Amino acid sequence: MSGQFVAFFILSLLTIGGAVFMISLQKVVHQVVALAFSFLSIAGLYVMLEAEFVAVTQVLVYAGSISILMLFGIMLTRHDAHEDTGRGKFKFLAFIVVAAFFVLVFMGIQTMNIEGTPANFSQQNNVLEIGKLMFSQYVIPFEIMSVLLLVALVGAIILAKREADDK
Amino acid sequence: MESRWGPLAQYDWSVMAPEFTILIVATLISVIDLLMPNHSNRRPLAWLGIVGSLLAGWFVLQNTGHGVVEILNGSYRVDAFGNVFKLIFLAGTIFTLLMSINYLNRGGVKEEEKVVDHGEFYYLTLTALLGSMIMSSSADAITLFVGLELLSISSYILVGTRKKHLLSNESAFKYVVSGSIASATVLYGISFLYGLTGTTNLFEMADRLGQAYMAGNALLIYIAFFLTFVGLSFKISSVPYHMWAPDVYQGAPTPITAFLSVVSKAAGFALIIRFFITAFRSVVDYNAANGPHSVLISELLLVVGILAAISMIVGNTLALRQTNIKRMMAYSSIAQAGYILVPFATLTSLIFEQTVFYLIAYLLMNMGAFAIIMIVTGDRETEDIRSFAGLYHRAPFLAIAMTFFLLSLAGIPISAGFFGKFYIFMSSLVMGNYWLAGIMIATSVVSYYYYFGIIRQMYMRPGETEAPLRVPAGIAVIVLIAFIGTVGVGIVPDSVLNFIHANFPLMDLIEAAGQ
Repeated sequence: MSGQFVAFFILSLLTIGGAVFMISLQKVVHQVVALAFSFLSIAGLYVMLEAEFVAVTQVLVYAGSISILMLFGIMLTRHDAHEDTGRGKFKFLAFIVVAAFFVLVFMGIQTMNIEGTPANFSQQNNVLEIGKLMFSQYVIPFEIMSVLLLVALVGAIILAKREADDK
Repeated sequence: MESRWGPLAQYDWSVMAPEFTILIVATLISVIDLLMPNHSNRRPLAWLGIVGSLLAGWFVLQNTGHGVVEILNGSYRVDAFGNVFKLIFLAGTIFTLLMSINYLNRGGVKEEEKVVDHGEFYYLTLTALLGSMIMSSSADAITLFVGLELLSISSYILVGTRKKHLLSNESAFKYVVSGSIASATVLYGISFLYGLTGTTNLFEMADRLGQAYMAGNALLIYIAFFLTFVGLSFKISSVPYHMWAPDVYQGAPTPITAFLSVVSKAAGFALIIRFFITAFRSVVDYNAANGPHSVLISELLLVVGILAAISMIVGNTLALRQTNIKRMMAYSSIAQAGYILVPFATLTSLIFEQTVFYLIAYLLMNMGAFAIIMIVTGDRETEDIRSFAGLYHRAPFLAIAMTFFLLSLAGIPISAGFFGKFYIFMSSLVMGNYWLAGIMIATSVVSYYYYFGIIRQMYMRPGETEAPLRVPAGIAVIVLIAFIGTVGVGIVPDSVLNFIHANFPLMDLIEAAGQ
């Protein structure tokens, strides 16, 4: 059992555990913390895949800003934690569907057979290669992302702003 | 070729002129909106959008007939398939903008029904259009997904623009939540494909997916296909991802409902057809007992056919129970999505012509119907079907036009919708899919009941008022164009089909550039 396997095992356990706790915990703050665990472990998985730049971005964007933003949102809004109990009747059905899906995907992954040699990125500069691709082959999605962000911004403003005449 | 401007300058960027036009016009609208005085009317911005869309349409026409052009290593391609879809999107957006002008500026509206931000409304319509245009002509999973998200996010906001209206808020929220889950499902599916092939380019993916299938990854390829298809069925509102449609169609402003049911749906079909046919066409099972056969045709599309059949059944039977006209049209559009999936599910060599023909017919009849729905429900201040009572006495031309649109939606000769359905029906017969053809006929007959329910209201029920209904010029233009189109296409369907066949050789969907 190599050290890599142990690291992968721990990180993936934390990722899945964080996600599961995020759904099952009751208090919003606890949920966000569980989610942050999940985000950070995913960053660890990226490091194991030698994608350091993506890992750092993951920490900055998800673990850093999004979790903090969520915590701020929680602190600035009122939320009375009350339990909703009425969703028990679909639980069994949902369990069956999820279990069947898990079995299918698990079988698929077990039988997976990818031909060819694994890529070797160790000798390359991650950031340089990503930058080259992003500003050559993927320049259209990159530019469209800026329109997308603008749309999201405009949308957030027009949906959330208070009108001048309804104070 | 090295140029002073680097490698990016060597591409023929003029093929993106339609997209650039829409982008520039959208930016102009947001900037001019910022500079305009607060209480001045935003109507000129919509006209700017319409002019921009017409100009973009002209550029699309300039691009047609030059074969396939690829830029950026094949991640963006201009081909007849993309061009014909872009023309459909542009026409749909022009109709939507015309309707929006009247919708936003109509008088006597209750405070909570009002849309406050007119400028942003037009801007977001154009960005949604940009997203769908990107979707229709890219051959790279990343570009496709970004276009899909641009369309989705713009539409989420547009649905919620009546922000003091409780129903509108609810529908926007439902749309965001179910849309995000659908996007996640698509991404999950694509991630399997990427994992198996190591590329996001659809053409490279096609080559390597065939090898991956033979290497024993059949199960994962099936999983990837169904995840992606289920996620994308959200955009075309077909089973299994159709449950959002009634609530969202009801809560959205009527022009946006029309936009969702025509442009957004057509974009979904463009994406589904391009993605699956391009990426899965070389998945061939060489070891089968009865000789090599395409897995896409023999196995995967059977499930698509079953889902299409369920869409028709669910849409048409649930529409019977509706009393709200917009909800009814939502179920009707679920059923229509089922019909349009049939050419894809049966996959003859005429799939593109049949799909495009039906979408053109659908564009005309649906836009016309929604324009009339908007006027009538706005006038009676209720969305109940009874608001159509006595329409024939109030506005005879409107009632006659609406009758034609409904007959076309129901698929009764002689109308555009009839021939659309007829061609689809023939394709499923030719391929020996008798069960699918049978379900099509049966559900069409069921659909007569609710379409005729509206016609009955218009001609045979006395309305609360006999006052003539004033029809604004913009709406009259939409209804007239849609009416002439629906009748015209119904009279000369073969010439339309031949025109599509001759000018848009849609098989270059899977050809490489420069051929």
